Amino acid sequence: MKRLVSGNEAIFQGAIQAGASYFAGYPISPASEILQQAALYSEENSGFRFLQAEDEIAAAIATISASLSGAKAFTATSGPGFTLMQEALGWGHVIEAPCVFVNSMRVGPSTGMPTQPAQSDLLQIKAGSAGDYYPIAFYPNSVEECFRLTATAFNAAEESLSPIILLADAFLSHLYEMVDLERITVEVTPRSKEPLGSGQRLFTGTAHDKIGNVKTNDPVVYREWLWEVKGRHDRAAEKYPLFEYLPRKNSETLLIAFGITSRIISSLKDRFSIFRPIRIYPVLEKELKEMTQSYRHIIVVEGSDGQYASWVECAICRKVMKVPCLGGGFKLKWIQNQIEECLKGAGR
Amino acid sequence: MDRSYKELLKLRRFPHTWCPGCGIGAVLKNVAMAIKELNWNYQNTVAVSGIGCSGRMSGYMNLDAVHTPHGRPLTAAETIKTVRPDLNVIVLSGDGDLGSIGGNHLLHTSRRNPDITVFCNDNEIYGLTGGQAGPTTPKGTKTITSPRGEPYLPLRLGRILTQQPPYFYARTTVYHLNHLKTCIREALLWKGFSFVDIISDCIELNGRRLGFKTAHQMFKWFDQRFHIVEGERDHLQEDELGIAKAMTEEVPQPMEKVEVKPEILMEDLKPFTLEELQSFDGSGGKPIYIAYKGKVYDLSASPLFQGEKRMRCHIAGKDLTKDMGIAPHGEDLVFKFSLVGRLE
Repeated sequence: MKRLVSGNEAIFQGAIQAGASYFAGYPISPASEILQQAALYSEENSGFRFLQAEDEIAAAIATISASLSGAKAFTATSGPGFTLMQEALGWGHVIEAPCVFVNSMRVGPSTGMPTQPAQSDLLQIKAGSAGDYYPIAFYPNSVEECFRLTATAFNAAEESLSPIILLADAFLSHLYEMVDLERITVEVTPRSKEPLGSGQRLFTGTAHDKIGNVKTNDPVVYREWLWEVKGRHDRAAEKYPLFEYLPRKNSETLLIAFGITSRIISSLKDRFSIFRPIRIYPVLEKELKEMTQSYRHIIVVEGSDGQYASWVECAICRKVMKVPCLGGGFKLKWIQNQIEECLKGAGR
Repeated sequence: MDRSYKELLKLRRFPHTWCPGCGIGAVLKNVAMAIKELNWNYQNTVAVSGIGCSGRMSGYMNLDAVHTPHGRPLTAAETIKTVRPDLNVIVLSGDGDLGSIGGNHLLHTSRRNPDITVFCNDNEIYGLTGGQAGPTTPKGTKTITSPRGEPYLPLRLGRILTQQPPYFYARTTVYHLNHLKTCIREALLWKGFSFVDIISDCIELNGRRLGFKTAHQMFKWFDQRFHIVEGERDHLQEDELGIAKAMTEEVPQPMEKVEVKPEILMEDLKPFTLEELQSFDGSGGKPIYIAYKGKVYDLSASPLFQGEKRMRCHIAGKDLTKDMGIAPHGEDLVFKFSLVGRLE
């Protein structure tokens, strides 16, 4: 039955559909509704465990530990909480725990503007924790896609054996749309890791060899381990080269936008071509190269000061123009003016 | 001597990383022995540890072991127990890990009382990083980060963990071996959150600076500082070794007072029409009446019906049945007031 569903609810239901049986979280706008849903759901379903942790650090550690114990686990937070979760995120990558972290972004840094939407935690997903690691992140732009991509994120987690990040923003979390969740079918990948209590393994955040022996002074072992992890992540990411491309004939300009920004500028599709990456990280290098080569102007419209734009520039080896929607200001008219000014400046 | 506990140790990884004379060896060995005695094995037991010298303990156990980031073993252990109640979960950690960086988790995990057992190798120093002052370093102790003596009072783990039942807190040392064994065994058997605070020595990075020549001298020092107390205790003094435990007292829930009001027949009530009711709005010394579900109540005693700041829905002399739907309170509130009549 079609009904009004919010982005947050769709994320929660998507996780349940994917087989999630553990949620840990700490209240933070705009992700609190996921926590509330989990609390309610655990009351009615004894197989589903729930923890309202003392802080996001504990929530993230609990999520990863639950994954080690054999549950499909996830957590949800916003920018400041995601900052606290970085420690656990790094740990999850080293001990190879499949789980999902939902980050509903709001204006930062620090407490920022609660609760104005933003898209400024992109660098945090890649570089928030210490060392080299290879996260995979998806970013839906509709309530239905929230549902589908949460399930996709769980599948990608099992394939890459790592925490997958599902991005959203304050707009999307609180966006209500008519969706029939029961009719959406998603593929579900089963658990790929033996749970705790079935071996004599060591799950350590310290550098280790293949059987889990701590090796803190051997570059060869470390390199081998890292290449293996990188290869696995790349293979998992390649399975999901998700994007949306709306070409406009004779347009010399390509707009790149994702998440809620892509919804806002969708009415410009009659004037410009629009490219929407859904897999935010790893950056869709091949696709971006292919799509952008025939355009004279490339404008990245995003809710941060050029975080994604810098990745695009790296990927296509070419300067792009930016329209940063900062401080929660996502007005279409303003964006349109900014695009016009960019084009004027570029000598159209 | 029964050496079968060695099955629980990853001997292929020996020699271990700890300094000669360190107390962690005694902790690890006695925990392994106690687990073996209880017939726990890798299929039903998980060891969790944090960071520090003590954090390496889990890696030497022949079990599935989880080596968490600094300070987080309690959260991890609690979650493992939640998801897999069939597993026995033990935490092998230290005072810096549990009391300092993981202090928040110590407060909240113990409050939630999961059935896990925590062994804290309490050596009163940060050993792995070279001998910095820790949360349990006694006041006045010279360390490399408190060259004039630690200026602050130490954290009293015992006080924190015995603040409200249920709790199990044992303090022992690596020198009082038999006592150590008893504490470990009782803690493993305790249903709920149990914490064993094992006073341990760090000769290389703390003891020598304090003037001790050997680990044995430090043991003797423990013997002087602490004494064993026998029997059931609620709390331990700071110089006492023993077990403080308490179950939750079954507090009988106070019965809610139910006043049986004599049944009043509708016909016996004084009838009011809506027009009549309107005059009872509190003006001119008259009482304040409202109607609810066909009955009239005297709300003169309610502060919300008086003065200019009366709330939106509190209108005297009206039928307020429909307004109940948007009220933040239930109809019980109305029934508390005295019934004076019925609405015609």
